[in-house]
Amino acid sequence: MLRLISAGLLRRRWQSVATVLAVGLGVGLLFAAILLQRGLKQGLELSRQRLGADLLVVPARASVDPDHALFAGSPLNVYMDRGVTEKVKSIPGIRRVETQFFTQSLRLECCSVDTEIRLVGIEASAVERLAAMSKEGVPTLQPDEVIIGGRLLGGVGKRGSLIELLGGIFRVGFRLEPSATALDYSILLPIDTARKIAGQSEALQFLWKDAGAPENLISAILVEVEDDARLPGIADRLEAIGAVKVIRAGETFQRFKKLTDAFVYVLAAAGAITAFGGIVYLVSHFASTAWDRKGEWALYRALGASRSRTVVLVVGEAIALSGGGAMIGLPLGYLFFRLGLRRLAAQNAFPFVFPSAELLAVAAGMAFVLYVILGMASAAWPAFKVARLEPALIMAQGDID
Amino acid sequence: MVRATPLLEARGVRRSFGGDLVLHEASLSIRAGESVSITGHSGSGKTTLLSVLALLLEPDAGEIWVAGANATLWSDAQRSRIRNHSFGYVFQGAHLVGSLSVLDNVLVPALIAGRRRERRDYARSLLDRLGLSNREGHLPHMLSLGQRRRVALARALVLEPPVILADEPTNDLDPRRANQIAEFLLGLPAAGHALALVTHDRALASAADVRLFLRDGVLACEEDAPEVPFGKKSGVSTDQQSRQ
Repeated sequence: MLRLISAGLLRRRWQSVATVLAVGLGVGLLFAAILLQRGLKQGLELSRQRLGADLLVVPARASVDPDHALFAGSPLNVYMDRGVTEKVKSIPGIRRVETQFFTQSLRLECCSVDTEIRLVGIEASAVERLAAMSKEGVPTLQPDEVIIGGRLLGGVGKRGSLIELLGGIFRVGFRLEPSATALDYSILLPIDTARKIAGQSEALQFLWKDAGAPENLISAILVEVEDDARLPGIADRLEAIGAVKVIRAGETFQRFKKLTDAFVYVLAAAGAITAFGGIVYLVSHFASTAWDRKGEWALYRALGASRSRTVVLVVGEAIALSGGGAMIGLPLGYLFFRLGLRRLAAQNAFPFVFPSAELLAVAAGMAFVLYVILGMASAAWPAFKVARLEPALIMAQGDID
Repeated sequence: MVRATPLLEARGVRRSFGGDLVLHEASLSIRAGESVSITGHSGSGKTTLLSVLALLLEPDAGEIWVAGANATLWSDAQRSRIRNHSFGYVFQGAHLVGSLSVLDNVLVPALIAGRRRERRDYARSLLDRLGLSNREGHLPHMLSLGQRRRVALARALVLEPPVILADEPTNDLDPRRANQIAEFLLGLPAAGHALALVTHDRALASAADVRLFLRDGVLACEEDAPEVPFGKKSGVSTDQQSRQ
């Protein structure tokens, strides 16, 4: 049977190659769409969890895109007096505040990293939250320990390794999961340590001349309100402090979610259209080839192939073509996915979580099985029809060649 | 003396296409070592009769018995198995698979039976006997019509089936090639095969042990056949059925 199937496919070599490529392209697009869609959904959720706040308070003069500040993790090179924190805390309805200190972007010469690296000073509560979302996370950070962004330093930046920052030696506490945001290329460290090394850096002294000593500065305040508190009212009172700008995470999150959802829908639609196109193509292909070759099937029937074995022959060819196409399509899809991801990462526009090995295997399995089943289903009806034909009548119509 | 059970037997077979009755109460039997020729004008139902005998076409009425069993009652799988193991059919056209080599074409029944490896040497010996040993790797389109016919003949014999059914095996061949194939076929009963052949060739037909004539769907003995050249319709109709 396998020999007859392979002979049938090899005879129509170019037709078979075209079918395998068409299926491969469909599987590839579907596979890439699934991975991007899942990564975006998880990325959005992860960003929301990492933020852990309802409001973000930044200096009024900060020219910041709220979407990027909240979900793409873009740090701000602006400062305000840390005394603002106490004023924020004093507003009723606020459950928790958390300050952050950003330094100017730096270059990490020691590790041969050409791109700028951002340092973000964070409080212990933020370390705890981030650790809970990282596979290797530890809930506390020593003064000489840092958290490395998911795409920073590669093997050099793995847990326990030492790196040099602004003249000081630091140990990597843990690494964040990649999220296709600016956070992937940031280093987070205890806020006091960040202030200290920034203050000691000769290269950064020009900043402190205007802003004051870094020990008295913060860059942003994350605000979490009580469950029963009115968010708009609290936001108004925060803005009344003066010289601050309030970004409402909920609204921004919803707006960003809509944007991400639209992108996800486009990807899902692309996957669905690809799958549907695959169905139409496979049905028409197998229906026409099965009928065109009815003389050949009739010959096999005449020489002793039962109806069921004839169905196996026809469907077997379909499985070989769709399975072969799927085998090619999976690496092709992974390539599409990596190219798409590279574009996303280059823009730092969308939060993204790189799919786990488990998700990769499940998505690959789904795309593979779907197309093999599509191939089988597309050929099943034509196979059933040709197997029901009376071989003598078909063969009387002439030579099969 | 008790005669052996027929390997293949038709009992009162009727078959029509649309409203046209092509076979009318046809009955015949073939035993091991026996040859039967069926002649008749074009369109008289010869190929239909052979197809019904080969279980390729179901009769509207009547029965086909194979080695003493009523094949009309069998399932498709059973009939297919018998077609594969017990019948060797030489079609009117060669009907070779264009993507398979000559050797693989001969081995198609063995491929279906899952006995390709086992029958490969025998397939080669058949090709050798038919003068095609130097062509086993060729594809069908590289062969002449006569060579393709011989490949089809080898295919019919590859599983050494007890019954060989040949439909116009010498049609369109030059006399030398026709004689070669005729001699080969007529030698098969001596090896224990039962042979049923449909032909326009009077010489080939007359060499068979049993000679039947099909006229307008009715099977008769050759002796009752009108002296009209084959290929022209006699216009004579009869309800007689007969076997020698």
